Amino acid sequence: MNRFVTDPEWHGWIVWYFYLGGIAAGAYAIASMAALFGTEADRRGTRAAFYIAFPIVNLCGLFLTIDLGRPDRFWHMLIQSRTGHPMLKWWSPMSAGAWGLAIFGAFSFASFLGVCAEDGHLGLGRLAPLARRLGRALVGRIFEIGGTLSAFFLGAYTGTLITATNQPVWADTSWLSALFLASSASTGAASILLLNRGWFRNINHEVAKKLELVDLWAVVLEGAMLVTFAWALGDLRWDAFGRWPGFLIVAVVAPFGVVLPLALAFVQTRGASTLSAAFALFAGFALRYAIVMMPGRFFLLHQT
Amino acid sequence: MTQTVGFYTDTTVCIGCKACEVACHQWNALPARGGGAVPLSGLSYDNTVHLSDLDWRHVRFIEQFSPDRSRARWLMMSDVCKHCVNAPCLEVCPTGAIVRTEFDTVYIQEPVCNGCRDCISACPFGVIHVSETEHIARKCTFCYDRLKAGLVPACAQACPTRSIQFGPIDEMKRRAEERVRRLHGQGEFDAYLYGADDEILGGLNAFYLLMDKPEVYHLPTKVVARLPSRSVWPSSIRSIAASLVMALGAFLAFGRRKEAVSRTEAVES
Repeated sequence: MNRFVTDPEWHGWIVWYFYLGGIAAGAYAIASMAALFGTEADRRGTRAAFYIAFPIVNLCGLFLTIDLGRPDRFWHMLIQSRTGHPMLKWWSPMSAGAWGLAIFGAFSFASFLGVCAEDGHLGLGRLAPLARRLGRALVGRIFEIGGTLSAFFLGAYTGTLITATNQPVWADTSWLSALFLASSASTGAASILLLNRGWFRNINHEVAKKLELVDLWAVVLEGAMLVTFAWALGDLRWDAFGRWPGFLIVAVVAPFGVVLPLALAFVQTRGASTLSAAFALFAGFALRYAIVMMPGRFFLLHQT
Repeated sequence: MTQTVGFYTDTTVCIGCKACEVACHQWNALPARGGGAVPLSGLSYDNTVHLSDLDWRHVRFIEQFSPDRSRARWLMMSDVCKHCVNAPCLEVCPTGAIVRTEFDTVYIQEPVCNGCRDCISACPFGVIHVSETEHIARKCTFCYDRLKAGLVPACAQACPTRSIQFGPIDEMKRRAEERVRRLHGQGEFDAYLYGADDEILGGLNAFYLLMDKPEVYHLPTKVVARLPSRSVWPSSIRSIAASLVMALGAFLAFGRRKEAVSRTEAVES
């Protein structure tokens, strides 16, 4: 662990970006895969994701811009300020991530328009036949694959972004991207489940069961990634998890994000699955907060 | 092509006068922190404490005592940006604000920087800081303006003991190696060069002659000072594997399309 670094002060806005971006990416990926692999009922039953992904990704862009020291120069991430040429350094996770976010924004915008058209919102109802035709055509399948890939990228790259540093804990493991992806899928599935319970009440029982299965799968993956993350940190794990905010991983993320959802999966009631989804969302935020804030605490700890 | 230049800092002759700090502030028009009303740190004569957006040179004072306090040693080192050959800050900078100059030094183009702070997270030496007034990343420029005019950087020019030496990097390394040999000949076997070889980030264009372990001078070892890109592929491969696992889960849950369609159709009929 390198103790001689400076805290980049990626705090509040970045925690929210990682969390909300993860939800948008996870929900979108699941909905796209439901459309790709599943039935028409599956596609309809997961379309809540397409309603939330685009607004959330806009919010993410706003948070990232606010977090910049010079928000008026946010466009320097994508365009070279002097030449006007595209600015891309594929080996820099932040540069690749800026493009990834923009690409995901384009996919989520198209999907948002698609579901609005199908459901007759925003005056787009007359485009419903076109949206359905495109959705069932080859171009729709290609779009779903592209959307899934871009969502997976957005869900995971934030882990790579903080790993590709010299900060304590972040730079001491390569598993954060996989952990964030699993958490992204878990919180994404939980969001769709909760939205279906609240707003989209006409979802059939079979689709709800499939969603719960995907959620359970994501929770198991997240549990496995948490264990692997702790193992990969070696002796550092005691320092990392033994103090605030790393302690949240032990006290909140593991019980509320993994153990309780797994236990509730055996209780086959609607209330249990709702509670499980709420726990997953709560734990998802705690995970991002704990991981993002951890190096800052280490830095302060060793300065005193 | 312009020759690669560098700093060779011989900590054995540093007297802690802070002329380098003053010269750096003066030439680069860096104001004193807090209007000059800097509180005493309690860290020996070191009240600058660390490099910052306003302090691009920092003289570190390290007091060492034997357990019975009968013997003492005072180590001093003028710290600065290392202008790494493989610079982590330059590697991650998403806007292209950080560039390598014709002198092989690392330079932040202030009009391009948008204050994302990725360079701060990447720098293993804690060199870069965000300006509290400009809100962009700032660090030693290696006196780029002076180099272009054929002048020596202000800190090296001001150093009264030649602890900070400036010149073509090969010449600096030759001088440093000769100095280490001389010190070893005098029985100072602790003397060694930090960053003169290519083991730390391909080499440091500001390297040091030290008398103790790097950690004593708040410098990271080669084990922990690493290029950010080293993690990109391992991290990406793990995330791809996790994505495939999630895709498999979704396929198992939503898949068997024909079977499900036929069942739905059966129910509807």
